Amino acid sequence: MSKAALSLELPWVEKYRPHLLKDIVGNEDTIERLKHIAKDGNMPHMIISGLPGIGKTTSIHCLAHELLGDSYSQAVLELNASDDRGIDVVRNQIKHFAQKKCHLPTGKHKIIILDEADSMTAGAQQALRRTMEIYSNTTRFAFACNQSNKIIEPLQSRCAILRYTKLSDEQVLKRLLEITKAEDVKYTNDGLEALIFTAEGDMRQAINNLQSTVAGHSLVNGDNVFKIVDSPHPLIVKKMILAPTLDDSLLILRKELWDKGYSAVDIVTTSFRVTKTLYELKEPQRLDMIKEIGITHMRILEGVGTYLQLAAMMAKLSTHKLSTN
Amino acid sequence: MVSITDFFVKGNAKGAARKKKNDDGGDTKKTTIDIIDLDDSDLDIAEVKSPVKRESIVIDTPPSVKKQIDKVIKKEEKPPSKVPVKNKSSNASVTAADVLATIPSVDLSEVHIKENVKFDFRAAAISGDSEVSTQGDFPEGQDNCLLGLTVVFTGVLPTMERGAAENIARRYGAKVTKSISGKTSFVVLGDEAGPKKVEKIRQLKVKAINEDGFRKLIAGMPADGGDGDAAEKARLKKQQEEARVLKEANEMAEEAEEKELKIKQARLSGDFVKREDLIREQDKLWTVKYAPTNTNQICGNKSSVNKLKNWLINWEASKASNFKSPGRDGSGIFRAAMLYGPPGIGKTTAAHLIAKDLGYDILEQNASDVRSKSLLNAGVKNALDNMSVVGYFKNKDDVNDVNGKKFVIVMDEVDGMSGGDRGGVGILAQFCRKTSTPLILICNERNQPKMRPFDRVCLDVQFRRPDANSLKARLMTIAVREKFKLDPNVIDKLVQATRGDIRQIINLLSTISKTSKNIDHTNISEISKSWEKNIALKPFDIVHQMLSGRIYSDLGANTFTLNDKIALYFDDFDFTPLMVQENYLSTRPSVLKPNESHLEAVAQAADAISLGDLVERNIRSSEQLWGLLPLHAVLSSVLPSSKVAGQFAGRVNFTGWLGQNSKRNKYYRLLQELQYHTRLSTSSNKISLRLEYMSTFKHRLLDPILKDGSDGIPSVISLMDDYYLTKEDWDYIMEFMVGPESTDLLLKKIPSTVKSGFTRKYNSTTHPVAIYRAGVSTTGSTTTVKPDFEDVVDADDSVPATDDTEDGKDDDLKKDKLIKQKKAPVKRKASSTATKKGAAKKKKA
Repeated sequence: MSKAALSLELPWVEKYRPHLLKDIVGNEDTIERLKHIAKDGNMPHMIISGLPGIGKTTSIHCLAHELLGDSYSQAVLELNASDDRGIDVVRNQIKHFAQKKCHLPTGKHKIIILDEADSMTAGAQQALRRTMEIYSNTTRFAFACNQSNKIIEPLQSRCAILRYTKLSDEQVLKRLLEITKAEDVKYTNDGLEALIFTAEGDMRQAINNLQSTVAGHSLVNGDNVFKIVDSPHPLIVKKMILAPTLDDSLLILRKELWDKGYSAVDIVTTSFRVTKTLYELKEPQRLDMIKEIGITHMRILEGVGTYLQLAAMMAKLSTHKLSTN
Repeated sequence: MVSITDFFVKGNAKGAARKKKNDDGGDTKKTTIDIIDLDDSDLDIAEVKSPVKRESIVIDTPPSVKKQIDKVIKKEEKPPSKVPVKNKSSNASVTAADVLATIPSVDLSEVHIKENVKFDFRAAAISGDSEVSTQGDFPEGQDNCLLGLTVVFTGVLPTMERGAAENIARRYGAKVTKSISGKTSFVVLGDEAGPKKVEKIRQLKVKAINEDGFRKLIAGMPADGGDGDAAEKARLKKQQEEARVLKEANEMAEEAEEKELKIKQARLSGDFVKREDLIREQDKLWTVKYAPTNTNQICGNKSSVNKLKNWLINWEASKASNFKSPGRDGSGIFRAAMLYGPPGIGKTTAAHLIAKDLGYDILEQNASDVRSKSLLNAGVKNALDNMSVVGYFKNKDDVNDVNGKKFVIVMDEVDGMSGGDRGGVGILAQFCRKTSTPLILICNERNQPKMRPFDRVCLDVQFRRPDANSLKARLMTIAVREKFKLDPNVIDKLVQATRGDIRQIINLLSTISKTSKNIDHTNISEISKSWEKNIALKPFDIVHQMLSGRIYSDLGANTFTLNDKIALYFDDFDFTPLMVQENYLSTRPSVLKPNESHLEAVAQAADAISLGDLVERNIRSSEQLWGLLPLHAVLSSVLPSSKVAGQFAGRVNFTGWLGQNSKRNKYYRLLQELQYHTRLSTSSNKISLRLEYMSTFKHRLLDPILKDGSDGIPSVISLMDDYYLTKEDWDYIMEFMVGPESTDLLLKKIPSTVKSGFTRKYNSTTHPVAIYRAGVSTTGSTTTVKPDFEDVVDADDSVPATDDTEDGKDDDLKKDKLIKQKKAPVKRKASSTATKKGAAKKKKA
């Protein structure tokens, strides 16, 4: 047990965070480009955008480390949403850093990393505009954000925009296997499957869930993973919605969701999410179904989180399915 | 030659087949048939004649055919632009030219087929089995095979999206325009083409082909657009362009060498070298490296650049005349200029280059500097009257260069003044009025309310997004210099993706070229997709997209998914529902189910909107159930739009809810006040006061004055005293009336002497006052004060003037001696000039 305790000292996400660009999983094209930049120097200003947990911050860090090596500590200024990044900080701290002289090999520049840049105010972003241009000979900016539309257009215009896509299941699986091997974790295939499924391409979540499952149950199998993740399985919900008859739907609702103790709110929100992307049905039909689900959602939030409401929802949905078929 | 005849025969056969089908489906759509019938008559002629015409061209006008040509020309009245082309090609008697000439004429016969296809497709769509195919099966054409042709796409093409088709045309070197003109080579017609466009086609006799014809055209055209006249010209132009690009690239290279040499020499001789010059070229950002070095290199916006330049050249002269003479272009009366336009198109660069060209020294302030009122006063104000030290020393020997000792002050990102820059905008606008140094302001959004203080004090110079042509040369130069291959035809695509942002394109090229040395149509769509700027849309654009029928068809729903639609709502979730509600009635639905009327669709949409309102109440009320936001997105915006989406009839209106809501609040407040005043004599709450008393009040307060003039005044005043109404209340009551009771016209009938007599009379006596809880201020109808920056500034400016206006207003508004009313003006005095203006207006009235 003591050995296990030791290995849990550091969150695995941190422990297995890649330190080199070549270790980063997924988005091969973009990473390839970053490798070229790391080799040749002259990093452009850039914005990396994409969903959480797909390696945005990690790749910026790797790039900065590979570019700057030992001078990382003095030539990099990193600010994230936990730091104050109001307009004053941009005008003072960031500008001063950009003006600072720093001895670097030719072709290397100081780097200012602004993580979670989409949470910066428009005013602060405005204040970055000319700074980025005037000091571009010595300082380059790297932004990481979830939604690139929260970055004002003038900044986007000054940057190379790199969009990261979701990781594929295989990529997540590969990484998980490496970790289970390194940590000597006992697992079953359906356990990993469940991890990958619940993570939806989010590597960080997959690793976190893996660690939680290991900490709680030591064996990673499907049941244990769902105990940890604890939300209705989208596939079951999908099965419930698409069931051929109302009886089937209700059976699934009763047996596989309600009796397992999932709360009505969780069931209904998962239904909403599933229905949104239910490509088996045509869009107008989906919209009508979403309307019914949403109304049930409202009722449940008003305090009537009963089985009756959910059953009524299913009944309504099945009439919608009938009417269009 | 054989193939041509094949084409023709096939075309005819197809045409016949299609026509048959057309007859089958004919009874479903009446309106389209009308159009088609018209075309058909044309078509018949064309079908008969076109083979002849073709032959004639090929055979190089033997006499027997010549007659027929004449006939054809006479009958068809070919547009003049086309005839010369044909003659030329036949004179040239080059085989390639023949091919070129013949293929389009095949398409001509196809036009008619095309029209039939259009009809078929419609019928097919109605019966429900619309074919969904991708553009993957599109034939590969020769390089640049459409060179020199101008194409217009209109309507919905049967199997591909219009954008994709346009891209294909561009990829093969054609020029794609939006409107049909004499220069248009041919039109690709699709389903639901606008009636105007069809009319225009007929009018100008432009060749119209369908998607099939377009496919064949591409498959059949020779490389580089054959030998046609237009193609020749285009090719020539292309060559010239290429030559120019090469020349520029060489010049640039020479320049760079020269500069290097200079630096080397300077270093050897120990002279001072600017730090920036020591940085290796390859370590610079491309946007810096390839920034224009003189005004001629600025892409696009030539006239704007010239306007600014002229203004600056004439600045000293205008100053001498104290900015009184407008000069030739009217710019002589402005001490400051305001450049505005979207980012990345060279505003700042233009300002800097022009100032440098004219020998000015530049003092720049941008959003990274604090620009509050006090700091601007301390810093910039001094500079307004100063002289440049650098300029003074550099130019001391040169007596003629008067500008050398002068500054230009460049204020970048003026609209970026925010938070900490309190009062900055106001003080800057003041500087604009009195500066003795040229002042150039730069901003993105000129129309924002916070930029209003600059109205009429600056010369407005608009910068527009440059089009692809003005960028082409520059980008190609860069490509040559950086040694990667850039297909000129994809530049349009890049321009489109970045919305004309030059800087972004250069950034893009610099990043892409790191890994791939070849940018052409094989990888362009991927590139432009990932580089498309993602900007939160403005409410107008959101609603425009939301209500466009395209995204709700089966095909559209696959490319623009439900999630995308919901994301549209989240771009501005305060305004989207209101805007949808405002505009959902002004569409012509294209998504109606069979047997569904417009009204039914509207009813369903309205139902969804009302449900959405219920949800919103849950979200915004004390319950704060923000988890319901996605539901609100669907109910308030997506679902109603999906019912009525279609073509917009008219323009998108801004939501009227905001205005109506504040009006409602105002009346509610007034009613409250009336109820306080009258409650000693009435026994009703607010609502019944409005419903039961108000109309009687109106009659008894207004009719005597209308009927008896000044004689009716005493009775009115005594009634007012009975109900503890003030003179203001009298006005309010008149305002409340709507419909047939509306008092607007009646009030105008009262002679102004009677009106003022009424006021005087009322003010000359004392009146009973209902005392009520203090704190409910009597906010008049004019006080809708918006707290924003201008107010703050203006209030400072105009303090001395306030007293006069106040006095005047007091008389004028006929305030009586009640305590509360004396308070009100005091409050207003502090608040803003808006009230004062209102008061002044009233005075005039």
